Amino acid sequence: MAEKLLEIQNLKLYFNEGKPNMVKAVDDISFDIYKGETLGLVGESGCGKSTTGRTIIRLYEATGGKVLFQGKDVHGRKSKKELKEFNRKMQMIFQDPYASLNPRMKVADIIAEGIDIHGLAKSKEERMEKVYKLLETVGLKKDHADRYPHEFSGGQRQRIGIARALAVEPEFIIADEPISALDVSIQAQVVNLLKKLQKEKGLTYLFIAHDLSMVKYISDRIGVMYFGKLVELAPSEELYRNPLHPYTQSLLSAIPLPDPESERSRKRILYDPSVHQYGPDDQLEMREVTPGHFVYCSEKEWHQYKNSLNE
Amino acid sequence: MENILEVKNLHVSFDTHAGEVQAVRGVNFELKKGETLAIVGESGSGKSVTTKAIMRLIPSSSGSIKEGEILFAGKDLTKLSDSEMDQIRGKEISMIFQDPMTSLNPTMTIGKQIMEPLRKHRKLSKVEAKKKAIDLLHLVGLPQPEARFKQYPHQFSGGQRQRIVIAIALACNPKILIADEPTTALDVTIQAQILELMKDLQQKMETSIIFITHDLGVVANVADRVAVMYGGQIVEIGTVDEIFYDPRHPYTWGLLASMPSMEIDQNEELKAIPGTPPDLLRPPKGDAFALRSEYALKIDFKYEPPVYKVSDTHLVKSWLLHPEAPEVEPPEIVKQRIRLMPGNYKEPLLVKGV
Repeated sequence: MAEKLLEIQNLKLYFNEGKPNMVKAVDDISFDIYKGETLGLVGESGCGKSTTGRTIIRLYEATGGKVLFQGKDVHGRKSKKELKEFNRKMQMIFQDPYASLNPRMKVADIIAEGIDIHGLAKSKEERMEKVYKLLETVGLKKDHADRYPHEFSGGQRQRIGIARALAVEPEFIIADEPISALDVSIQAQVVNLLKKLQKEKGLTYLFIAHDLSMVKYISDRIGVMYFGKLVELAPSEELYRNPLHPYTQSLLSAIPLPDPESERSRKRILYDPSVHQYGPDDQLEMREVTPGHFVYCSEKEWHQYKNSLNE
Repeated sequence: MENILEVKNLHVSFDTHAGEVQAVRGVNFELKKGETLAIVGESGSGKSVTTKAIMRLIPSSSGSIKEGEILFAGKDLTKLSDSEMDQIRGKEISMIFQDPMTSLNPTMTIGKQIMEPLRKHRKLSKVEAKKKAIDLLHLVGLPQPEARFKQYPHQFSGGQRQRIVIAIALACNPKILIADEPTTALDVTIQAQILELMKDLQQKMETSIIFITHDLGVVANVADRVAVMYGGQIVEIGTVDEIFYDPRHPYTWGLLASMPSMEIDQNEELKAIPGTPPDLLRPPKGDAFALRSEYALKIDFKYEPPVYKVSDTHLVKSWLLHPEAPEVEPPEIVKQRIRLMPGNYKEPLLVKGV
């Protein structure tokens, strides 16, 4: 397989640590992200998928564990210069295109903020040249540069958000529900754009979402989270064909498909965590059932999963 | 089946600083007893405004019903006084919204909020209303309603809140329930529960439902019939099978093609609908979708298309069904869906006077 761009090792993020209301939002999860791939992260609200994304990019200080980006620890103490370099390589696109753009800044300044901070343009002309080029890349027009965010529709704003992320020529982009707030027809525009950019620039994505059909379409591999734990990780096709963890099965069975016939015969599977019947001696960890297909389980379950796939 | 509601040539406009926004431009449909009609379309297509007009919830300060009739139980709702409408709203026709947190009063216990319509419309005593309210909460599957009767909305989860909102909406056994994106804010597993609940209750109470959503998966799950709205008009309406397996309007094609199916190849590009919805301050001449459609004909830019009947239940507003229109091929993803519908006429029939 390709080279590892990110290694997430035993990452933990606890809110209100040590207090009675402590929440283990991200609870000891490990996975790798390979260069050039799209890793989808799905789960219900509160499962920790957004917190995972935000912790990776250092919007939160991790409670424990490590995030290695190109082998270097993201969360270790860093000089300003190192941080700046790191911030340039990793960018984020947010869910709400209304809240994530400063309403008092012109589009040109929003997009060029990163260019200015990192000194990527030598002159004013070069700066504007870059802005125009970026606008064009994301399917907007040159004269949009002088306008303010409120003059744009949701889909256009999301394009501005993407242009801003691209401005510093990052290698890795975390997209946190980038299409959830958009209309169906506009969602397809933005997803197509993200895919096109990935192809052209060799970008790596962490795509966080709860719309499972879109995630399947855009992702090479998908991780499923449940209560702060990563419970299953597999190539997209494989995850949809052979979901092993009972929670993944329940989640997949709940997605309504745009096909009346299959909807009429839908059988929903409910997840009850007590089905596992874990004993005190059971070691719970991510175990590889088939190459590349990991499930969080006990050793006993691991054998069961293996057998179920052989049948 | 008997029609419980008929909307005829409905026009709704809003006055803004920039001028008159024609949000709904001649909408016609009927709702049958016990059925679920889904209305789909993007933001600004007029789906919410249509249902708000039925509920007479268009604020008179900014908007008005310009033209048309909304017939319910022999009455034209557009002509009723506010006090007459109060007798219908929440009793005969009720509504649930997308965000259960904003439709519940945060300073009132949920018990009190459910008792309110029971006391007001059904004139129950306090003791009776409480008993009925607890029954309703049992019905919508809220655990331990007796113990939680005096709790406030913030003490419940999103799914539980939506159950409470549904209980309030159903308190008076309404004939029509309008659900405006009721599950959009919820997680898929919770969404599945709420959809099952609504279908279950509909069977028990024979309520007709108008279900607004932009999620075609949800539509396939709940709808008996589907109306597709674009630019303030219904461009296609039919049974759920007709819309999903025999769509005729290019906009419906666009919607169906822009969603990835579970079988789609990752290298295949999604068929996005280019551009943005029309500006209803100055609605385009002719077919409102023509500007974004690769199937637009010359005539689409000049004259508004008439409505054609493909079957008894399937209506399409497009010039493409005109006998002299060129044959066009729908996008590949849509073609894979198409099946022969048994009720189709040999040739589409022009509907006059619509």
